[in-house]
Amino acid sequence: MSDAPKDLPEASERRLEEIEHGLFTSDLSVNEFLLVKEAGYHPLGLVMGSSIYHTGLQTRKWGESQELTKLTEAMYNARELAMTRMEEEASELGADGVVGVRLDVNYYEWGKDAAEFIAVGTAVKAEDGVSRRNALGKPFTSDLSGQDFWTLLRTGYLPQGLVMGTCVYHIAHRGLGQTLATTGQNVELPNFTQALYEARELAMTRMQDEASQLGAAGVVGARLEEKTHQWGSHTIEFLALGTAVTRTADEITLTPPVTIISLDH
Amino acid sequence: MTGAAPSPNASGDLPAAVRQALAVAEPVGGARAGLTSDLTIDETLILHSVAWAPRDLVVGLSVQSVPSSIWSWGSGEIELASRAHARAFAHAVARLHAEAVAVGAHGVVGVHVERRILASHIEVELVGTAVAPADAPRIPDGQVFVSDLSARDFALLLAGGWRPVALAVGASFTYAPRRAVGAALRQQTQNVELTNYTAALYDARSTAMERMQRAALDAHGAGIVDVTVTEGPLRFAAHAIGFTAWGTVVVPASSSQTIDPLTVVSLDDAVNAFDVAPLA
Repeated sequence: MSDAPKDLPEASERRLEEIEHGLFTSDLSVNEFLLVKEAGYHPLGLVMGSSIYHTGLQTRKWGESQELTKLTEAMYNARELAMTRMEEEASELGADGVVGVRLDVNYYEWGKDAAEFIAVGTAVKAEDGVSRRNALGKPFTSDLSGQDFWTLLRTGYLPQGLVMGTCVYHIAHRGLGQTLATTGQNVELPNFTQALYEARELAMTRMQDEASQLGAAGVVGARLEEKTHQWGSHTIEFLALGTAVTRTADEITLTPPVTIISLDH
Repeated sequence: MTGAAPSPNASGDLPAAVRQALAVAEPVGGARAGLTSDLTIDETLILHSVAWAPRDLVVGLSVQSVPSSIWSWGSGEIELASRAHARAFAHAVARLHAEAVAVGAHGVVGVHVERRILASHIEVELVGTAVAPADAPRIPDGQVFVSDLSARDFALLLAGGWRPVALAVGASFTYAPRRAVGAALRQQTQNVELTNYTAALYDARSTAMERMQRAALDAHGAGIVDVTVTEGPLRFAAHAIGFTAWGTVVVPASSSQTIDPLTVVSLDDAVNAFDVAPLA
């Protein structure tokens, strides 16, 4: 499908070399940074992957709800490219994982039909020297914040990977007859309901499939995003994102939380 | 492009009005004559809790002119813009630093970074609060740090066994490549990665980050925290993209870097008012 450059660009190689010489960079805030250290991990560097992707065309039928497979494929492919490059950068640094991953989509004026997919996160390495890579031998990825990462480890779980499922769905327009028939009434609109339902289910199932490929026990922090990007109101991308986790042999060291009443306003 | 920029290192570079304002704030006979700070009361208290106190509000500003013809045509990096940006930042930081030194501070925290990138000039404005440990003597100028961390984060960083040393900045401006009409037409209906765009943007972003890293290495830092990466097309030139990365360079301050977090559950949020909106 893609003729992507397999190697990372030169500037990125140079940047990573500097990091290997001991300097760390991280977009974690101070408390996230201290918590990641506290959890026994050392931040190595800010890693990123990016791909500018041209999305193809697909004809939609005005009155028919359907998945637009070509667009779904594009969304998947572009994000995979960005994520893979981020993982490559992390591997280059000898990282065990990447925390605080953000996935963004940017549009530029000079590329109306193209979008930049970008993945950024902080590569971390366990300080005890034991590899924490995931079932596929790659650094784990996770969109959890430093705080969530610390809490997760304290409860004996380890992130395995940022998993996602996407589905671009075209929702049928309602015909004039249908619209007239329901004017002034309280009724469910079954075609809209069904279309949205199915699209969400598809996205979530795909996310779960990715999680089971990683041998995960579950997905935490899952969320569902809906975006129309630049396709008009009836074509929606449903994106399910979450962090797949597995149970480790570590004991649960999270102390019972203290309840507080804050006096702030 | 001014050839000879004013030497921003000495406090002699500060305008007369600034020097006057600072003279008022400087200690007279051991007592402090005045104190300005943009810290909130909470932040001031947090600073006191780690035995630091605000000294004064300090400002650094620099405007660098760039030829407005550089933005529209070309390929690769817009080096004039990258250099002007670097110089604007360096001068603004140096002036901020000079003001901090003038009030006998050990560092500047909570630096707000305001930038304006226009076709004809690049402007960098930094405002922060100069701080010092309570009743501490002056330290050598070179050890006065500048950091964009809030007073809160600064106190937390100290408590965690680290200290800030400098603000590291890197920027890179680049022309977006242009796509041949033939290729654009061929790819109209396909899902393809635009490899030349990808490589150009990837490169520019890496270059910005690498420059930030080099600044951190020059400051003998162990790492950079709270990195802000901004990017995007410039409003006045659709084919130019700017990438900037900045963060606070930190070094370990003590042998142990441990914090012992306490997990808490807030009992706030008790009221969830159910709001019945009139049905339209």
